[in-house]
Amino acid sequence: MIKTIAAPREKKVEGCGECRSTCQSACKTSCTVGNQSCERITREQSPEKNK
Amino acid sequence: MIHVFSFKDFNYIYDVGSGSLHECDGETAAYLKAEYEDGGDISAFPPELVKRAEEEIKPLKEAGLLFADEVKARPVKSRFVKALCLHICHDCNLRCKYCFADEGAYHSRREFMSEQTAKKAVDFLIANSGDRKILEIDFFGGEPLMCLQTIKKVVAYAKDKAAKNGKKFLFTTTTNALLLNEEARDFFNAEMENVVISLDGRKEVHDAVRKTANGKGSFDLVIDNAKQFVRSRGEKNYYVRGTFTAKNTDFSEDVMFLAENGFDSISMEPVVTDIAELAITNGHLAAICDEYERLAERYLEKYKKGEGFNFFHFNIDLEGGPCLAKRVSACGAGNEYFSVTPNGDIYPCHQFAGDEKFLMGNVYDGNIDGRIRSQFVENSLFTRKGCENCFAKYICSGGCSANNYHFEGDVNKPYTLTCAMMKKRVECAMHILARKKAGI
Repeated sequence: MIKTIAAPREKKVEGCGECRSTCQSACKTSCTVGNQSCERITREQSPEKNK
Repeated sequence: MIHVFSFKDFNYIYDVGSGSLHECDGETAAYLKAEYEDGGDISAFPPELVKRAEEEIKPLKEAGLLFADEVKARPVKSRFVKALCLHICHDCNLRCKYCFADEGAYHSRREFMSEQTAKKAVDFLIANSGDRKILEIDFFGGEPLMCLQTIKKVVAYAKDKAAKNGKKFLFTTTTNALLLNEEARDFFNAEMENVVISLDGRKEVHDAVRKTANGKGSFDLVIDNAKQFVRSRGEKNYYVRGTFTAKNTDFSEDVMFLAENGFDSISMEPVVTDIAELAITNGHLAAICDEYERLAERYLEKYKKGEGFNFFHFNIDLEGGPCLAKRVSACGAGNEYFSVTPNGDIYPCHQFAGDEKFLMGNVYDGNIDGRIRSQFVENSLFTRKGCENCFAKYICSGGCSANNYHFEGDVNKPYTLTCAMMKKRVECAMHILARKKAGI
């Protein structure tokens, strides 16, 4: 039995370039892009971050 | 391409092309692995199992959730600068054995960045940021809190310049917490989007490597500062960031120690050093991978009890997350992100600082060496050697250029030791995601 756990909500290919610098995160030595969030969506969901 | 893996009694299929995660029974997993991942002999699998598995695969394939074609996205090749790591201080009040920055001195003399140089760096960032609105500055060292007054002036200056130029700055500071007193706390809480506190976990582990200049362990000097700061932080971001070495491959103990001491945002990174007694080697890999599994189980136990915490490398967002263009771009070092040393010299990132081969310019003349920058602009998942067939490629982006260069001699040759750890962390993160979605 194969059960889908998670799948991308949309196929986002092109980048807006607004994402945060990977190296400004927690690690400084083993940066992981895949655990970042999309900055554009984050800011759309939290408008105060645009101010 | 699919990746079939197990975590204890759970079996998963990760579809690389679509980024989808599926769970299945052990027999189906074994068949899929043999048929589609290992390309092995499937004659031992009963025909009814093969038929059932293929019938289940078909609709998922049609929906683009299994064996999906990989889309070749173009990497981000912006010529704009978005972030600077400001080495506000090439000196430190600790003498940590494993420090990649030569205990703060970066293989050069100990010095502080002047206010004038820091302001020049801010000007450089704004001047080279194009139409990007959000800019980032990370105050780094050495120990940045040895220069708190300079940081305060730079933040005020940057905010003023940002307002005049239609920009906004996000500030981060990385600190060892030794000078994280009330003044620093208040300032950080007012101005820092993120604060990274270096703390290795258990007292004996921390004190074995993070020593003061007179050789004593620093745990007792920093722990209360760190706790007070986190309590005062409210909703703002922070990470307690530890380093594990060959001496504590049981690092899940340290993560749990931190979690049980009130820190709920934790990262624990493998050491980057060539000191033999501390360096992680291939001989440690099996124990480290087992330890990540143990950490994942303990993490879920805490989560079940309503005591969940955030572990940086177990965060994975398969439903949202960054776009493909970002996933195939390297971290941005040397292209969108640079580090600036106390004299204003510009390097691709903090881990290249002091290496003359990577000196790209100085904030006082404002120019960046186009030849070096081009090397980094061209870096992407597609230039990394050996990443094509890796299931984790769209999550790690080909790894850290500096680690690749320092250990393999080529920014485009992934450091195999970190690849193995990355893959294990990704599997653990997927298992955690699945268990959380299933209500454990």
